[in-house]
Amino acid sequence: MKCYHCGAALSKNDFCTSCGADVKTYKTIIRLSNKFYNEGLEKASVRDLSGAVVCLKQSLKYNKKNIQARNLLGLVYYEMGEIVAALSEWVISKNMKSKKNIVDDYIKAVQSNPAKLEEINQSIKKYNLALIYCKQESYDLAVIQLKKVLLVNPKLIKARQLLALMYLKDEEYNLAAKELKKAEEIDSNNTMTLRYLRELEVLRGKKINAISDRKDTRVTYKVGNDTVIQPKEYKENTGISTVINISIGLVLGAVLVWLVVMPAKIALTKSDASKEINRYSEQVAVKAAEVEDLQADIESLKNQNKEIQVKLDEYEGDGGVLNSYDALLTAANLYMDGKATEVADIISGIAPETVESAKDGFKTVYGKINGEVMGEAADEYYKTGYSAYSNGNYEEAIENLQKAYTIDNTSVNALYYMARSYQKSGDNENAARYFQEVIDKFPGTKSAMDAQANLDSITEEE
Amino acid sequence: MINFEEELKKFHPSLEVEEAEDAIYSHDMTDMMDILKEVLKESKDND
Repeated sequence: MKCYHCGAALSKNDFCTSCGADVKTYKTIIRLSNKFYNEGLEKASVRDLSGAVVCLKQSLKYNKKNIQARNLLGLVYYEMGEIVAALSEWVISKNMKSKKNIVDDYIKAVQSNPAKLEEINQSIKKYNLALIYCKQESYDLAVIQLKKVLLVNPKLIKARQLLALMYLKDEEYNLAAKELKKAEEIDSNNTMTLRYLRELEVLRGKKINAISDRKDTRVTYKVGNDTVIQPKEYKENTGISTVINISIGLVLGAVLVWLVVMPAKIALTKSDASKEINRYSEQVAVKAAEVEDLQADIESLKNQNKEIQVKLDEYEGDGGVLNSYDALLTAANLYMDGKATEVADIISGIAPETVESAKDGFKTVYGKINGEVMGEAADEYYKTGYSAYSNGNYEEAIENLQKAYTIDNTSVNALYYMARSYQKSGDNENAARYFQEVIDKFPGTKSAMDAQANLDSITEEE
Repeated sequence: MINFEEELKKFHPSLEVEEAEDAIYSHDMTDMMDILKEVLKESKDND
């Protein structure tokens, strides 16, 4: 501590040892200033910011050069969102003690971010604008501005308090409580905040009472440990009212069923039916496919059957292999009995293409019988035919001579006499045809010349 | 019971940055020490 008069260091005495000035009161003032500073520090440390402001201001009233108290006051203002007030205190502090002063750091920290400082300055302007709106009773606009302020500068206590006041006025107690709680978190012992909180509790209590007044139709009482709640007035139901109530209930139930249950039921039924139709459609499609397959199988089997029938006919038909074998066996049997003409009849009935396609055993037997019997049979038919011709039995003659010529187509006599038999029997047409065949196939022979003469006579007759 | 109008009167405009300089200059810096010095000076003059 230094003397206020000469600046010399003071001792324990109540006077200055250098200039002799009375420093008793001076020392008391310094002690009081320090005492208030200590109180302010204590309050700030427990977040009683408004209390700290009062103490620190008091400390500075005693001693304006209490740098620590002024710096702390600036910090408390800063924490309360009062940036300009904080800066003012720090600038004064800097002027009083330009060296080794912590406020250098504080000021630098604020000035290093001019955008943020400008933003905060704008928020303070909006707060002032909100205050003007309040005085103009434009409370909605004021609330909007205050919300904007708190978005940028959430520690500005008085903005929160003003917003809470707006909410209290509008009976928005929950919102007011929210703002006051936040204000309380920043400044725990702010008189205005505490007063508004108390007022809020009173207002809420009134509101709850008002609500409970509206609900006073109920009576609550305790029976033992149980709380019984029952209507104040209990009206006994009469018979008519019971019937009416039941009727109304039935009607409402029917309407509910019609509006809610029936559409759901119908939709469910439709869905089931649709699923069933789909299932049957799938089955029908499968069956149709099976029918088509079976139809195709039938067509295939029919074709196979036709092919088999054709082959069977080839075996069993008149010119078939089986008949040919049968005929050959019969011919062989007759051949062994020496019946040449009958063998020839049968052998001539076997188609040449059957013989061509037959197996070697068939061909061998056929060749042997045909070679040995057919010449003999042709002679026998010719003899029988000529004999009949000679006897004037032209029909028998034609039959036998025809067979003789069929077996041996080199027999000119058989052909000639067959033609003569036709001529004698009056069938000039066949006679002429066979005479012409004799002329064509056996030219230069006597039979050919006789045939020509006979043909000429037929022509002349016509 | 809070009187809304009266409460509003308790709120005052905040200092803006542009006003900081004026606020510093107009700050009443008189303290007890100044008063003491004045009193002692007056008593000395009277003597």
